[in-house]
Amino acid sequence: MKNIVINEWKGLFRNRLFLVLVCIFTIALLLTTYLGILQNNTQILAQKEAQEHIREQWDSMDPTNPHRAAHFGSYAFKPTNLLNSLDEGINAVTGNVLRLEGHTQNDVMFSEASQSLLISKFGKLKPSLLFQFIIPLFLIFLSFNSYIAERESGRLKLLLVQGASLKKIVFSKVFSIWIIGLLLLISTTFVQLIFNTYDLSFDAIFRLILFVCSYGCYYLTLITLTVLLSLIFKNATGALSLSIVIWVMWTVFLPKIIGNTVEKISPFPTRVEFQNAMDVDRSKGIDGHNPSGDRKKELEEKTLAKYQVNSVSELPVNFSGILMQADEEYGNDVWDKHFGSLYKQLQIQKRNYQLSGFFNPFASVQSLSMGTAGTDMFHHLDFLKQAENYRRFFIKKLNDEYAFGGSKTGDRSWKADTKFFQSVKDFSYTFPVFLSFLSKYILDILFLFIWSVCLLFWLKYSSEKTIFL
Amino acid sequence: MIKLVGVFKKFDAHTALNNLCLYVQSGEIYGLLGSNGAGKSTTLNLILGFLKADSGSIDIGNGSNNSSLKQDMIGYIPENVNLYPYLSGVENLDYFCKLSGFQYNKVELSDFLNECGLQTDAHHKLISTYSKGMRQKVGIAIAYAKKAKVYLLDEPASGLDPLSSNELSELLKKLAKNGAAILMASHDIFRVRETCDKIGILKNGNLVKEMNASQVSSEELEGIYLNFMKN
Repeated sequence: MKNIVINEWKGLFRNRLFLVLVCIFTIALLLTTYLGILQNNTQILAQKEAQEHIREQWDSMDPTNPHRAAHFGSYAFKPTNLLNSLDEGINAVTGNVLRLEGHTQNDVMFSEASQSLLISKFGKLKPSLLFQFIIPLFLIFLSFNSYIAERESGRLKLLLVQGASLKKIVFSKVFSIWIIGLLLLISTTFVQLIFNTYDLSFDAIFRLILFVCSYGCYYLTLITLTVLLSLIFKNATGALSLSIVIWVMWTVFLPKIIGNTVEKISPFPTRVEFQNAMDVDRSKGIDGHNPSGDRKKELEEKTLAKYQVNSVSELPVNFSGILMQADEEYGNDVWDKHFGSLYKQLQIQKRNYQLSGFFNPFASVQSLSMGTAGTDMFHHLDFLKQAENYRRFFIKKLNDEYAFGGSKTGDRSWKADTKFFQSVKDFSYTFPVFLSFLSKYILDILFLFIWSVCLLFWLKYSSEKTIFL
Repeated sequence: MIKLVGVFKKFDAHTALNNLCLYVQSGEIYGLLGSNGAGKSTTLNLILGFLKADSGSIDIGNGSNNSSLKQDMIGYIPENVNLYPYLSGVENLDYFCKLSGFQYNKVELSDFLNECGLQTDAHHKLISTYSKGMRQKVGIAIAYAKKAKVYLLDEPASGLDPLSSNELSELLKKLAKNGAAILMASHDIFRVRETCDKIGILKNGNLVKEMNASQVSSEELEGIYLNFMKN
């Protein structure tokens, strides 16, 4: 088998067209990776500058009312990591910055399924675009004729007479082309590594390994399928045509069809419906700005009882601050209820989309590519969760200062000093360790594995059964 | 030796070979003549193991039933020896030798090519620059380097110029002298008469005539052949 593989490579590397194409792909990959890294670094720098600027503004804030500061707000930055330059995922749509403000939670009215549609179109030139669309096509063109050329030239008989079995021949063809795909993958990963040695962690390495393995499995599937079709069809045109049709189905049509089906199966409420439902529930709470109603009265009585006084003016604390926080907490509950179900819906859509990997391995590799690069919906939701938790901490800190920092009810001119604002810690996003997310990608890993193993077995079976004459 | 006894082969309703009995001794060159569809290629494919006979027996070498041993003994030279165009003659020979488990150094490989009549200056040239006759010599060298005991040739002289054709005859005679059993399927009556020791005429899957080449002249052989084909 080793001799056949080496001979295949000799054939490829002595072919000028192949060399030109490999050079073009290698340069394109290295260039896009390098440009991606530069873009990432610029983004990291810009984020850092913006973050420092915002923090500086916050730290140098003149003494002011904490509630005003809550409306002044802050920003949560989703840090860019080294893998983002490999696959931009849904970042192109969701962005990397969130505004954090009192009473205002961030919503995510998008579905992963519809994002996958967006991504399946030709977007920014990232290595993932080459890995998912261009290189597979190149590998198909290399594979479709590798067996048929031997057969049609009559060399196959010579090879068999010399003692090489058909199984050995076709498997050598598959592996020799697969290794070229792997080399393109590994060279890109290597560029990622050498430009990011400062940011290397076990998690990043693990993600990179899984990234390479996912595409490796996908390429193996695609090459095996193409060689298998050439074995079955015994005709180069038929094998190439069907391989291209399958590839187009996988990459263009099925993602759209599945995306739309997934949205139909578990549809989102419209933005208006969703907002109305939120407003209805929100109206049952306390309006911190227009204090009236039963719940406000209930809270007032509770607070008066707690401090054993008869009126809010006698309270040693500022009741307005307590009211604001109660309003905020009610708002948080409403948000948790509505967005909780929305997030669940998102996860169902994502899972249903992942299930399509059963008949479309492209869906699995796309999901794993974004997942390992940390740019998919799961990672974005994690960022949103951490940002929302920080927003709650941030607003509570300000409301508590307003309530218990020394002002009294009705003391609207009371101001917290600069030192207090400086004591409020900044948002810091903890990028999730991939192992903690691994269970979310089991379906993708499983389907890719099953596809490649099943096709290899099918190829083995066919090569043993094929009568080539 | 090659021994076929009572071989039958049918493709659907068409009988390709009908009770074929054929014997080629070591050191003998057997020429199988016949028109297109007579069953020559089917005979070769059956011996090569690419087809399975419906009935009858096919023995190669010492009569062993071990198929891999049989495979080791056979050298096959197709009508068009299409080797790898991006490899030189030596590289092609080296590759095919390695596939059959033989590892030779460059000198040994060149020696094989020389013995099969390929000029030394062509050894390291790409196969894509070779003529058909030169490729055929490399093809024979592949079988020779494999130490084949049985040579099967399918229309070896087709498309060769007279000089190359003559060189091929001489080469086959040399191999036979060294003890090889050679079965050659051909349309070329003159070449078969010049090269072979024994000649068989195949018609519609039946071996209709067998004779020693020394017993007939080329003209007589042509007459016999045409007579069978016309009737």
